[in-house]
Amino acid sequence: MQDVYVVGAAQSDFGAFPEESYRSLFATALEHALDSVDGQLDRTDIDEAFLGTLGVGGRQLGLSAPSVTEYAGLDGTSATHIENACAAGGSALRQAVQSIRAGMADVALAGGVEIMTDMSGDRTRYWLGVSGETEWERMAGTTFAGVYAQMADAHMGEYGTTREQLSTVAVKNHRNGAKNPHAHLRFECSLEDAVNGTVVADPLNLYDCCPTSDGAGAAILASREVAKELTDDPVRITGSGHASSRVGLFQRPSLTSIPASQGAAKEAYDDAGISAEDVDFAEVHDCFSIAELLAYEDLGFCAPGEAGTYIESGATEPDGERPVNLSGGLKSKGHPIGATGIGQAVEVFKQLRGEAGDRQADGLERGLTHNVGGSGGAVAVHVYEGGWA
Amino acid sequence: MGAYLSVPAWWRNLDGRYRLVVGECQECGGYTFPAEGACVECNAIDALTPTEPEGTGTVVAQTIIESGAPPEFTTLLDAEGAIGVVLVELDEGVRVPGMLTDCDPHDIGRGDRVTAVVRRIYEQEGITRYGTKFRPD
Ligand SMILES: [Zn+2]
Repeated sequence: MQDVYVVGAAQSDFGAFPEESYRSLFATALEHALDSVDGQLDRTDIDEAFLGTLGVGGRQLGLSAPSVTEYAGLDGTSATHIENACAAGGSALRQAVQSIRAGMADVALAGGVEIMTDMSGDRTRYWLGVSGETEWERMAGTTFAGVYAQMADAHMGEYGTTREQLSTVAVKNHRNGAKNPHAHLRFECSLEDAVNGTVVADPLNLYDCCPTSDGAGAAILASREVAKELTDDPVRITGSGHASSRVGLFQRPSLTSIPASQGAAKEAYDDAGISAEDVDFAEVHDCFSIAELLAYEDLGFCAPGEAGTYIESGATEPDGERPVNLSGGLKSKGHPIGATGIGQAVEVFKQLRGEAGDRQADGLERGLTHNVGGSGGAVAVHVYEGGWA
Repeated sequence: MGAYLSVPAWWRNLDGRYRLVVGECQECGGYTFPAEGACVECNAIDALTPTEPEGTGTVVAQTIIESGAPPEFTTLLDAEGAIGVVLVELDEGVRVPGMLTDCDPHDIGRGDRVTAVVRRIYEQEGITRYGTKFRPD
């Protein structure tokens, strides 16, 4: 089996860009990703492309991958669309990893793109919650925020997790994201602001929710042989995990954990030959504040029920024992659905190479990305290490 | 246009819209809602027998939607100001999502007892949609 290396990775700015299309944003991300490769790599060297997108707004639904790659100068290259809601990017990454490990590709592109801010008024809201369970959960009036709100309610009730602990996620991630030039919401917020936000779906308020964003990301993966020719500062993907669970929260055995996160983490740790303690830093899927706390527990960073005290201890701050969401996370960096999982890989790539600018953390050797689709229907987890195998 | 419950999809499981129906697994005895697909307890397929539960249960998670509801709920949200949505664990041990009715949702929380009732949900594509809501005991 071939070892897999990330040789280049970049994202477009995340935000609201009325002048950009889903194609132009992806072309920008790919351009920057190619520029980030240390040696000479031409786009024609890409053997296989996987593109994560949900297609929010009903733009090109059929053939959405070739419609993007042709625009970016990859006409003729194998191109496949991956849809797993908000985990589409992480799932595309998984496919790219597999294609290189299998020896089918020497260079593979994992990309993601979403445009979410260009729909007209009423249409936008039809797209809210499309990744929730449609026939019963949505009919019950549960919005997407509502499903996570129910998980927050259960976690608070079962473990005594507090309003302040939830809000600490927002405070931390905004402070990190304010240092990220590509982030959508580059402002800091106080704990008082975050506690007193306008209620969206009780107990979650506006500060508990990530924005919807436009954006794209691209990660270029290569076999060891090709990577050796391209860089002296390699980032190896040592673990890949992927799992699914029931789409509707009401059908899952637990309201306070996400089984697919636990399954994907176990597979990724086993694949990398490590355990949770060995993870130095992580980009986790904080679509809502409670989601970051659930991730701490599901990934094994702390015991079940202890995520509130774990974040309160400062463990996941940039100078803590295990920084989480140095990029600002979905909360501040933004959440262009299909691009989110790739954006996480971009941050880990930069941090491991010491290229994260003002938000660079010290002493990082092993990173993790955690990308969740819907409220937990699909999850991708990847582990990355600096250096050659 | 996005995800919503089309009229044909609505008709397909009409029986479970006008009354609460769960599936009892012939393999493990567990219950699954809705009464279709693999058993949530044991993954057995073609093993669910539709059955009408008592309709009584306990709230295990709650939210109150104050904004951001999909358009089919706009009229209701405008009229009520807030929509209480709960997950109820029926006494048979299966969880069902539903709206609260006949109460102020702020007065209800985890651990409260509720009973299933059939109510109007909303009108879409010219058809009034009915379904299970939960009323506090
Ligand atoms: Zn069963």
